[in-house]
Amino acid sequence: MNLNLAAFERFAVRFQKGDIIFVEYEPGDSFYLIQSGRVQISKIMGNIEKTLDILYPGEIFGEMAILEEAPRSANAIALDNVKALEFNRANFEILMRGNPAIALKLLKLFTKRIYDQRRRFMILTLDDIQARVMDVFLMLAETDAGGQQEGEKREFKTTIDDIAHWAGLPTEKCREVINHFMNQRRIEVLPDKIIVKNLNEFARFVNSRRKTLAT
Amino acid sequence: MAPKAMTFKANSVIYFKGDISDKIYILKSGKVSMNSEDIETGQEVRDLIQTGEFFGVKSALGKYPREESAVVLSDAEVIQFTVPEFEQFVAQNTRVIMKMLKVFSNQLRRIHARVSSLLVTEEKTDPESGLFGIGQYYLNKKMYAQALYVFRRYLTYYPSGKFAREAANNIALAEQYAQKYGQGKGPEIGSSTPVPEKHPTGPTPAAARAELSDVAKVFYNGVSLFGQNKFQEALDEFKKVAEQREDEEYSVKALFEIGRCLFQLKQFDAAIRQFSGLIQKYPKLPDLPEALYYIGQCYEGKGEGDRAIGFYKKILTMTTEADPVQRKVKKALRALEEKSK
Repeated sequence: MNLNLAAFERFAVRFQKGDIIFVEYEPGDSFYLIQSGRVQISKIMGNIEKTLDILYPGEIFGEMAILEEAPRSANAIALDNVKALEFNRANFEILMRGNPAIALKLLKLFTKRIYDQRRRFMILTLDDIQARVMDVFLMLAETDAGGQQEGEKREFKTTIDDIAHWAGLPTEKCREVINHFMNQRRIEVLPDKIIVKNLNEFARFVNSRRKTLAT
Repeated sequence: MAPKAMTFKANSVIYFKGDISDKIYILKSGKVSMNSEDIETGQEVRDLIQTGEFFGVKSALGKYPREESAVVLSDAEVIQFTVPEFEQFVAQNTRVIMKMLKVFSNQLRRIHARVSSLLVTEEKTDPESGLFGIGQYYLNKKMYAQALYVFRRYLTYYPSGKFAREAANNIALAEQYAQKYGQGKGPEIGSSTPVPEKHPTGPTPAAARAELSDVAKVFYNGVSLFGQNKFQEALDEFKKVAEQREDEEYSVKALFEIGRCLFQLKQFDAAIRQFSGLIQKYPKLPDLPEALYYIGQCYEGKGEGDRAIGFYKKILTMTTEADPVQRKVKKALRALEEKSK
């Protein structure tokens, strides 16, 4: 991607390795385009800090800030010495006018966010909590988290906490459902992964529980 | 390959819901309806495409299945783009992207709101408690630098917040431990610190408070007052700290803070004297560039922009881009240059 960024040097900010760029819940009015170094996106869940993503030069983060001044939804920490361009609503239009490539990148990012949120919404509209948990596995299988595996048996690098988060269930409730599935030998829970024995069966069950669509 | 003009007869379908395709369309004439089902109620939704409007953008860009069927209501002319053709087209037409960004951000906001409305089971943390909780997490993990960042931010955003005093105490504690034991080391704090989400109004643990010397307590009380924009009260506290003799570290810090208070109180001459005196007494002060910055700000406040520029330029020679003060100085210089134009 051909980015003409020399003109934007005045928006450059630098962070030293280990520096916090922002943390969850901070009000945010700027977003960043990484020029060099890596940025870790993490979230504190209970007593652990969970890495959600690691971003490389050319990637954008904090972009929700241009929509609304909502609090940050995760922590951003410099993994190396990081140089980034910092943008806010005021200089955003200038940047976009000069750099359609960045605008396009942002457009694609929004596309993905909308899709992810729609998918999440579909999970949450299921009243049957067993179906919800199953649908989380189906969603994970549709994305990279499920890997490029084929067939009925699938492995997921995920945890019960994650599943509970996606399903919008308290962890305990989610654990009950998972235990129930384990007793039925439909899934296996290992320390670093969860194995679903027959994903197609999950898909059939979830479809049977979706609200009947208007005809 | 170039974008392709195509015509569709009434009642034909340009694409079906569920199709996966990399084609994007723009409507030139005729009527096309986007038919989909509401993801919550399953109700059918029909949206007419306006002439000149793009459709099929999201699913093509994201390589997702089409979320709707594009049904032709009356004979239509469209132009079909592949994704690379579309990218090339909009690259010369940023206005189009900006418009789409606005549409997408609206959609994103709406879907966000709908998702949140369903997340009743997930405990919601208000941003203030959440931010404080993150500081506590880092403090408990002995990640003092991170804890300091978060608590300082907390005081910036919530100077008179419900955890303001605790945050000020924790800053003192983190500074002390960082110096005494170093990052990642030191006694356990976690066991006695309440988890903020569960006890948002929980008292500061006695153990943590006992760690603070009396001098430090007064100092951080001043920091908290300053954060609440009570500059005169803060000034009084810092003066007490500056006058004591037991702890030089805090008295130097307090001399600096007195300058900041005077600046905020717009007593520019007094503030300049304060900072100049401090620099003369402690030429190796780590906060030297910051002190010079305040002197510059004071001159600006007095309307002596030229003298301010002198101080700002000096700071540029002694700092690197990694210093946050350099950003502030550059900003101030730019503003002054603008003004003189």
